[in-house]
Amino acid sequence: MDYFEPKTVTEALALLAQYGAEAKVIAGGTDVMVDIKYKEEPGCLVNIKKIPGLGSIQENGGSLRVGPLVTIRDIETSSIVRERLGVFWDSCHQFASLQIRNTATVGGNICRASPSGETLAPLLVLEAKAKLAFADGEKTEGFNSFFQGPGKTTLGYKGLLTEIEIPYPPNGSRGIYLKHAVRGAMDIAMVGVAVLVTPDAAKNGLQDVRIGLGAVAPTPIRATKTEALLRGKPLNAALVKEAAAMAASESSPISDQRSSAENRRWIVEALTRRGLQQSWQAATGKEVV
Amino acid sequence: MSLTINTTINGKSVSGSAEASTSLLEFLRDTLEYKGTKLCCNTGECGACTIIYNGKPINSCVTMAADANGAQITTIEGLADGDKLHPVQQAFIDTGAVQCGYCTPGYIISVKALLDRTTQPTPDDIEEAVSGNICRCTGYTKIVDAIQLAADKMAGRS
Repeated sequence: MDYFEPKTVTEALALLAQYGAEAKVIAGGTDVMVDIKYKEEPGCLVNIKKIPGLGSIQENGGSLRVGPLVTIRDIETSSIVRERLGVFWDSCHQFASLQIRNTATVGGNICRASPSGETLAPLLVLEAKAKLAFADGEKTEGFNSFFQGPGKTTLGYKGLLTEIEIPYPPNGSRGIYLKHAVRGAMDIAMVGVAVLVTPDAAKNGLQDVRIGLGAVAPTPIRATKTEALLRGKPLNAALVKEAAAMAASESSPISDQRSSAENRRWIVEALTRRGLQQSWQAATGKEVV
Repeated sequence: MSLTINTTINGKSVSGSAEASTSLLEFLRDTLEYKGTKLCCNTGECGACTIIYNGKPINSCVTMAADANGAQITTIEGLADGDKLHPVQQAFIDTGAVQCGYCTPGYIISVKALLDRTTQPTPDDIEEAVSGNICRCTGYTKIVDAIQLAADKMAGRS
């Protein structure tokens, strides 16, 4: 296996162009090292950790710019993320174990494109954008089109994720990420649900709502029909119930060793209901009745 | 493709060669003969291989040996001062928090990293610090007791 530690994005892209499908990008290594041991060794390993400038968290007007080499623990210990991007913080706080959070990177979690990837549903509801570098130029893409399937993104074998731009949600909004797994720590989500609500000025209705579902489709998805059902309406228990059932019907889970598809749909329903109730309460100080 | 790794382990500069596919755990155990750090799940799930890497606890089994280049590493061998055990090691003995002992080096390293951050850990801090370590013998009550005792001793509270 060939091994490189490129010092610039351009150098890394040249290696990807040279090795094509044989190349594997590595950062924290928490997924890739396991693949090397138990699946297969790539022809070439491109360690991007020596590229300067990819590991910072910076405020930029109305958004936060996160470098792909920022670790999950960096996010968890960032007071800006905790204050402004609670739904993203939640997912990093519930991520694996402390040891893994100290090593695993945000960019790695994204580019792995696992349907259950912890940060993905939160990034979808935050309407974050990926800055991608290719040999023929840069491109900015929303995560709604970035994820193509399990392990597949629009990067293919050719591109590098160089930044994640996360716009701050509207003032007064609150978000939450709820994960269902057997153990608290070190467990892959059977279902993850991210909810972001923005109440109207009178705090009676939903000015906006965004719902992201993880581990229940080939990619993380937005429950767009459910959002449309809720948007602009006063929130009450009957509407929450209807919305939760609709979110379950928008999911298309598989059965595997962690859960049956049927069980996953039930969990989507329960977590959507809980997510709406809890984020509404956090945003308005009122219970859904 | 063999790489030369220059690193610092328990304050001592050491070097060795490793393949790009070699994990830091394999490099520590098989090349440098630091056998105190244990191999168990080899997928980053059980915490037996925990070491302190640039001040932070990490799973050495899913870290590249190449990443040890220029790093400061603490392993279980670096805790005792001659015959005098580190307070965390002593607390695990005093509370009976060790049974088969295989997970213990990983636990002790996680706890050392915690108590390097704070000597007044809350119950949540303790739980978080060892949430990535699994013990299959004792149950966790005595381990939590050991952590509290070590914290108290290190802060001069007992």
